[in-house]
Amino acid sequence: MTVLQESTPTSGPRRNEADVVVIGAGLAGLTAARELVAAGLSVTVLEARERVGGRLLNHDLGDGQVTEIGGQFVGPTQDHVLALAEQVGVATYQATVPGESVYVHDGRARRFTGQTLPDPLALPDMGIALARIGQAVRKLSPTAPWRAPKARELDGMTYETWLRKAEVTGAAVDLVNIFLNSAYGGEARDASALFSLWYVSAFGDETHPGTMERGTGTEGGAQDSRFVGGSQLVAQRVALELDGRVRLAAPVRRISQDSTGVTVVSDAGDWRAGRVIVAVPPLLASRIVWDPLLPPQQDQLYQRLPFGTLMKCVAVYDKPFWRADGLSGMGLLRDGSPIREMFDNSPPDGGPGVLMGFLGGKEWRKWAHRPAGERRGAVLRCFARVVGERAFDTVDYVEQDWTAEQWTQGGPTSVAAPGVLTGYGQWMGRRFGRVHWAGAEFSPYWPGFMDGAVRSGKQAAAELLDHS
Amino acid sequence: MNKYVVTEKAVVDAPVERVWEVVSRTDRYAEWVAGAIEVTDHHGIATVGRTYAEHNRTLGPLRTHSVWTVREIEPMRRRVDTGTGFAPLRDVTNVFEFQSVKGPRGEDATEMTYQVEYTMGLGPIGLLLDSIQQPAMRAGMRTSMANLNTLLRSENSTAAR
Repeated sequence: MTVLQESTPTSGPRRNEADVVVIGAGLAGLTAARELVAAGLSVTVLEARERVGGRLLNHDLGDGQVTEIGGQFVGPTQDHVLALAEQVGVATYQATVPGESVYVHDGRARRFTGQTLPDPLALPDMGIALARIGQAVRKLSPTAPWRAPKARELDGMTYETWLRKAEVTGAAVDLVNIFLNSAYGGEARDASALFSLWYVSAFGDETHPGTMERGTGTEGGAQDSRFVGGSQLVAQRVALELDGRVRLAAPVRRISQDSTGVTVVSDAGDWRAGRVIVAVPPLLASRIVWDPLLPPQQDQLYQRLPFGTLMKCVAVYDKPFWRADGLSGMGLLRDGSPIREMFDNSPPDGGPGVLMGFLGGKEWRKWAHRPAGERRGAVLRCFARVVGERAFDTVDYVEQDWTAEQWTQGGPTSVAAPGVLTGYGQWMGRRFGRVHWAGAEFSPYWPGFMDGAVRSGKQAAAELLDHS
Repeated sequence: MNKYVVTEKAVVDAPVERVWEVVSRTDRYAEWVAGAIEVTDHHGIATVGRTYAEHNRTLGPLRTHSVWTVREIEPMRRRVDTGTGFAPLRDVTNVFEFQSVKGPRGEDATEMTYQVEYTMGLGPIGLLLDSIQQPAMRAGMRTSMANLNTLLRSENSTAAR
């Protein structure tokens, strides 16, 4: 059985044909293709990279061990990706490591357990912010946030402006930014208040309203579990099932549609299909040559949904030494720390030891272009604040800068500035003739997450089958 | 006007060339100088006559914006800068001196002398103020050199890629 076909340019008279061409072999595109194949359609998936998985990427640690340098966490209410993983034989394990976490602020590193930070001065602000977020989120629909009461008002200001309306010490913005650093690859000032509250409203499903606690939580939250063998394995297994229908190294340059079908021009040849599912980041979709042009509102929307700026920094050790010190490896760092949030990212059997930190938003802007050795030193100093100076004794160090990935151009997800959702939101994922849309950003639940990707792939496939 | 000279010494576990390399980078002070929250303007490798600026923590919650001018450079040995923005401290001069030494296992190390000179008026009130700020300044100088030591160690990892 062929796992993935070699790319074979088709410059001759014979043109490739399929019922459906899916563009992008991330989880969304692969899921859509899987659904369509199950429905009996002929499908080709065109992937620009020489691998599948999109924003899911395993790093080989040797001896059959991996750690993820892309998306990795799953949790409760993310039933679509969990079901898919189960169907392709990828198990999950508890991501949380027993032990104390560390909170670094004002020059001090303090251990703590549970969800309550050891910072009495920050807690009132955070309590007020969480209460306000919870109250505002309850008034939003994950499927159409632009229809919410006060939608225009909320979309007329940044999330930071909205949070500061009820601040006492300013700690809430700083603490929310720790989360947004990895969630947006940005800050509260980068996104509209409406977008950010909608994002929280999406931390759930049709029967469990989204909550900040579920989105930011470890055990019982969005960072509850990981996949054995790494998250990219889920995509690889789905691609394996597709049995040669995935074409790698096939970036799509042009999409033309007419009354009888769609022509897709890629570096690996041209395809003619009845319908197309585009499952690439919105901004990249807007850069494809479209004939006819995308509806201008949709094009403008996609141009306004760039990904944030995010790098994952991974240090590998002979073993997870911090566990013997009673530490979980999780750290939250304030005061302009390059790394603001870090985790124990070791494989499930506990060795080798891996620490992973997010370098995102303004810290990414500060450090991404510094010499690699200086940046690595800064990252390791952050790790050392949390687990001690043995953090300097690495056996390997790896960085994955998602802004440097041509076929992603940022990470982890799209962030909408003020005005985008109310101005253009209704064009999100709207079918364009024979073209349907998928991608983690197109889901009303867990957008930007693996579950959102799988949901969107299923949704796009269902919509396509309805119109066929 | 009383003149004060505050001096601290420490051994940094790195060759003087490496210490000099880092200390010469005017963009990097927020990474190791205690109280330097952010370098807001810099000119890269320190050059005599040129300036750099910082946002600094001073005493307790107090913050200031300072501007430093590089006055003297003796490569690998001595660096002198003067600074403004630390009122009521005036005529602030910062001196770094370096001497190559051997560490306990015979490895190359650097003895660093960190000296800050300043004047302060206000008569007896100035003396009282200095008795409050000087211990914090000394602690900051010691912390800075410890931070420099940690920075150099962190960048000495052999697992770089």
